[in-house]
Amino acid sequence: MVKYFKDILLGFWTIMVGMKITMDHLFQKKVTMQYPERFDPIDTGFMPDNSRNKLFVDIDDCNGCGGCERDCPVNCITVETVKTVPSDGPITIKSGAKRTLWVLKHEIDYSKCCFCSLCVESCATSAIFHTKEFDYSGYDRNELKHDFVSYSDEEKQKKLDNFVAYQIVKKQEDAAKKAADEAAKAAAAQITK
Amino acid sequence: MGNFVFDLIGKNIVAALVICIIPLVFILPYALIAILGELKIGAWMQDRVGPMRTGWKGVLQPVAEVVKLLQKEDITPTIANKPLFNLAPFIVFIGAFAAFAVLPFSEKFIPSGINLGLFFVFAVGSFAVIGIVMGGWASNNKYSLLGAMRSVAQIISYELPAGMVFLSIATIAGTLDMQTIILNQSGPIWNWYIFGGPQGGAIKFLFIPFFVILFIVYLISSLAETNRTPFDIPEGESEIVAGYHTEYSGMKFAMFFMAEYANMYVVSAIIVILFLGGWSSPFGTSFMDGPIWGIFWMVGKAFFFVFVQIWLRWTLPRLRVDQLMYLGWKVLLPLSIACFMAIAFLAMIN
Amino acid sequence: MLEALFYIFAAMIIGSAAVTAFTKNILYAAFALLFTFFGVAAIYVLLSADFLAISQIMIYIGGILVLIIFGVMLTTNVSIVDIKEGFTGKTSFIIAGIFSAITCIFFIYLAFKMPFINHAPKDVKLPNDSTIKPLGKLLMTNYLLAFEVASVVLLIAIIGAAMIARRHDD
Ligand code: SF4
Ligand code: SF4
Repeated sequence: MVKYFKDILLGFWTIMVGMKITMDHLFQKKVTMQYPERFDPIDTGFMPDNSRNKLFVDIDDCNGCGGCERDCPVNCITVETVKTVPSDGPITIKSGAKRTLWVLKHEIDYSKCCFCSLCVESCATSAIFHTKEFDYSGYDRNELKHDFVSYSDEEKQKKLDNFVAYQIVKKQEDAAKKAADEAAKAAAAQITK
Repeated sequence: MGNFVFDLIGKNIVAALVICIIPLVFILPYALIAILGELKIGAWMQDRVGPMRTGWKGVLQPVAEVVKLLQKEDITPTIANKPLFNLAPFIVFIGAFAAFAVLPFSEKFIPSGINLGLFFVFAVGSFAVIGIVMGGWASNNKYSLLGAMRSVAQIISYELPAGMVFLSIATIAGTLDMQTIILNQSGPIWNWYIFGGPQGGAIKFLFIPFFVILFIVYLISSLAETNRTPFDIPEGESEIVAGYHTEYSGMKFAMFFMAEYANMYVVSAIIVILFLGGWSSPFGTSFMDGPIWGIFWMVGKAFFFVFVQIWLRWTLPRLRVDQLMYLGWKVLLPLSIACFMAIAFLAMIN
Repeated sequence: MLEALFYIFAAMIIGSAAVTAFTKNILYAAFALLFTFFGVAAIYVLLSADFLAISQIMIYIGGILVLIIFGVMLTTNVSIVDIKEGFTGKTSFIIAGIFSAITCIFFIYLAFKMPFINHAPKDVKLPNDSTIKPLGKLLMTNYLLAFEVASVVLLIAIIGAAMIARRHDD
């Protein structure tokens, strides 16, 4: 019986305590930041370091391995490459390794990206990474595709042509080499006979 | 005493229509204010700022929400029982609106001055029960049906303590007429029934605790009868989606919504009438009193209790079903019966 | 004006009662009762029996109708069963016909025997004030025994219901 009344009083008292807390909060300073007016994460550095926002590809550092394309669970990355040719000279990527592939297209479709960060994990050269930018939009979903390669079409075409030309040259060289090899082999066989 | 509309137009059918329409005209802006209050107070209590974009500081937000609701497609599930599904929101709203017939707004205005006001309010509450069961069953959705069952069980359980409170005040006031109950309490503030009522001399101070307990009992049961948090298990989002109005959209959902807010005003007004002197001024009959100030006091006091309901909603978590039944049957009912006996004793020795 | 209201409510009572009687869906029958009860309450109001009218709403709509609906809804599969209609057999048809005829004749006889139908008072004075005071006085004086017996019966019913509903874990 005593417990019954004690419980009632306790219940009543705790409700009063709770109501006092909410009443206090009613007049406290609000923590909401009104978003477009008072929020610029890039300037204030408000976004934490491990936040995963819009992706960026440093194309000078990308060796075109296509790891990100393969690992992306939603297939939103498209990488197109072409091999470098000896006439390009000794080219390297930013981090110093030899460049063997020209990246002709590195496109990310932000409308599909789920910000899982798997592409970042898979990139050996850390060319792809998250920025702090998150508020981007477009009137068309194609506007949300971004190609990080800045070569003009002629440059791309030239690189492709270079490669094709080099292929022909290489084929001829190979054929010549093969013929020379065969000739050498035949000569050797003659000698042993 | 009387009705200013009858004084103005005379006792004819036009006057009757005007009297019917006045509460409706009151409910619409009141519901907008209450929705805004709910949004803003809820936000402030959580240290947020709430809606800020529609109008100055978001004051037009409820208007936008109502317009949105009216524009929405009115979906009726194909396997729902159409006639009952369409009828239910209106029955629920009739239940809430009918109670306005006996709620006085001022000395000079009460839609219907019948002698049985309190009893009437108590009786028309049952319309809502039928409407809720109808909507819950007709939706053909298990969550709706569960919500309706819970709602009815809850409303019927909490009608008992509320009835005991009505009975106590009726006993001490000697009437069921709203206006007479308020008239009894006019004069200085200690004539209010929460402070023991007008008569009784010094002995009534012994009985004040009982009146205060009754006041709290009615406050709690009224929350339960309007399905407000912490007694919102019929609508518990986390358990049964939205309870009996899960399947409703557009206008019909707005009807349920309006009924809930109208009910909030009804129970607040009853609290004010029973315990806090209704339209009478807290400064006695000489200061800020009269028919016009009456509207101010009546609506103002009732709005305070609407605020208390919102306040409680953003403070307390939802009760469990068994806790709800325990509170209703084992705490509130015995307490209210004990207080009723004490007050009957006070009424007897007076 | 009042007469028009009377006819509106009478039509409502008869219409909804007909729905109750003839519908095949048992829940429609239960919900149609809502309008029947409400109409009867309205007729009571027209007869200046305000207390009776509100009691009608409270007891029949708030109590009995809720109970009926709950009973119907909670009983397995009753809510979707269609009530059978059509010819159910010769014997039952004859028996039902005889009973209906007898009841009908009895009611007609009763109607013509009733004093208030034979010579209805021309100008009834409806009470202007509430009926609650005289009702209360009568219940506490002339009909005290009936009143108390009714409350004891209700109390017994409550206790019985509570006993039945208790869990028997022995
Ligand atoms: S974050 Fe995930 S989804 Fe987005 S581009 Fe990288 S791998 Fe694809
Ligand atoms: S994984 Fe890195 S290096 Fe390879 S293609 Fe993608 S961005 Fe370029």
